[in-house]
Amino acid sequence: MWDNRCKIAVSGVGYSKVSRMADIPLAAHALEAVKGAVADSGLQMADIDGLATYPELPATGHAEIDGISVVSVNCMMAMLKLPNLTWHIQVGTTNIGGAVQQAVNALLAGVCKYAVVWRAMHNPRGTYQNLPGAYAHGATQFTAPYGFGGPGQGMAVAYTRWLERNNQNREKMATLAVTQRKHTQHNPHAYFYGTPLTREDYFASRMVAYPFCLFDCDIPVQGAVAIVLTTADRARDLKPKPAYIAGYGQRLHFEVAGRIGSLSNYMEGGSSSAKLTWERSGFSPRDVDVAQIYDGFSASVIYGLESYGFCKEGEALDFIQDGRIELDGELPLNTFGGSLGTGRIHGLWHIIEGALQASGRAGSRQVKGANVSFVGASAPIVTGTTFIFVGEPY
Amino acid sequence: MTMSDWSKVTRPIPVPNEWTRPFWDAARRGVLELQRCQACGHFQHPPYATCVQCMAIDLKFEPVRGGGAIYAYTIMYHTGDKRFAAAVPYASIVVELDEAPGALLAGNLLEVPYTEAKVGRRVEVIFEKLNDDITLPQFRLARAT
Repeated sequence: MWDNRCKIAVSGVGYSKVSRMADIPLAAHALEAVKGAVADSGLQMADIDGLATYPELPATGHAEIDGISVVSVNCMMAMLKLPNLTWHIQVGTTNIGGAVQQAVNALLAGVCKYAVVWRAMHNPRGTYQNLPGAYAHGATQFTAPYGFGGPGQGMAVAYTRWLERNNQNREKMATLAVTQRKHTQHNPHAYFYGTPLTREDYFASRMVAYPFCLFDCDIPVQGAVAIVLTTADRARDLKPKPAYIAGYGQRLHFEVAGRIGSLSNYMEGGSSSAKLTWERSGFSPRDVDVAQIYDGFSASVIYGLESYGFCKEGEALDFIQDGRIELDGELPLNTFGGSLGTGRIHGLWHIIEGALQASGRAGSRQVKGANVSFVGASAPIVTGTTFIFVGEPY
Repeated sequence: MTMSDWSKVTRPIPVPNEWTRPFWDAARRGVLELQRCQACGHFQHPPYATCVQCMAIDLKFEPVRGGGAIYAYTIMYHTGDKRFAAAVPYASIVVELDEAPGALLAGNLLEVPYTEAKVGRRVEVIFEKLNDDITLPQFRLARAT
């Protein structure tokens, strides 16, 4: 087990308004979320001395303008003018979970005391994957000429392989979409709060990239979320009950850029990250009380459940049936609604929910008696990370 | 009617670079060539700086017959990419060649309805000329041998 388990905790969490289109610059959303997280902790902004983020916009063909389409560390520094800042970083080989892990490392190293991590997401006007180019450069020269555009198709091809090799039926995925939307009705910050979804809605929705229909895809939104991390001893002096980080991992697998459609890329990415997390925390999938697994596309949950070890390969669509992922089920899953419910903010919201469930702060969606809280933040491929939070340090 | 109409599609033109030029030069001649490690014999695609199996740097392009199976596919319905909007629904496929296990090639399934795309189905390479410089390897269902 990891010597540093439960030495760092998530304290406060914060949210901006989430909307389809921006009426204020993204920087203002990020600021709202950061202020919210600091206030939730009961801290003053001047206490914050560490900053970390992952500022990518996953859309294609749109200008990257700091403060409007992304919110970098520099942008946040300029806004906050933190008098006691001692550390900051942006990550690249992992999505936002990597920024959280770097903040953990900085806190363990003693180079900061209270770190803020945020994820701000823009929804550009016009077509999200804007692909007007007459030429295909780099790795896309082997994919774009065949109509492979956004990440959805890359995920979709792996999903057809999974479905047909395992003799499975995409209609079983309705259970995931409907259950997560049900959970969303307990999360007033989510985009789809107040908008239920039925199985009939799922079956009637238009196909986007087979096997994905509309409700297999998270909806692009503008918004931001943020967390405060600190050392366990400091966290115990703050207002919220701490969510202790018992272990974490990151994907250790990469296949040559442009190699699309490889199911092994997802499965080995996920299993390599989870192995680190189980070993460091000392827990196994059987010990988990509640799980958040990244769901930008629904099939990510399949790859997650299987590669993290919650069920065997080929079984995930059966695993999620019969109430197992309901709030009172055997493995309550994406209890905040997931990205399918909140809108596309990437994995930090999964991390927030993992922390809230561990510390008993999840309100009407709280899983009773939850202690061991698992998070797979981001798709297991390329940028995936995993975490275990606990309410009771050990 | 389940045939995709490719006649109004404007495919983006691949831009060869120092790693990929031999692939496109061969395709222009109607030959499918893949990068092969001269140390361990491993075929790989897309081309890379080193052999991803044994780390050797002695890599050459060698012809393959171009028969294989559909490893995976998707049927595109979304019309966000205006270059391809006229063809929806269409099958974008990923092919694993018999001679190059693990080397995955993208393509479209041509000459048959898109509903014929299934994982494991046998396909063979054909060539689609885009301009004088670039010819795309493409796939159709394998004919009886």
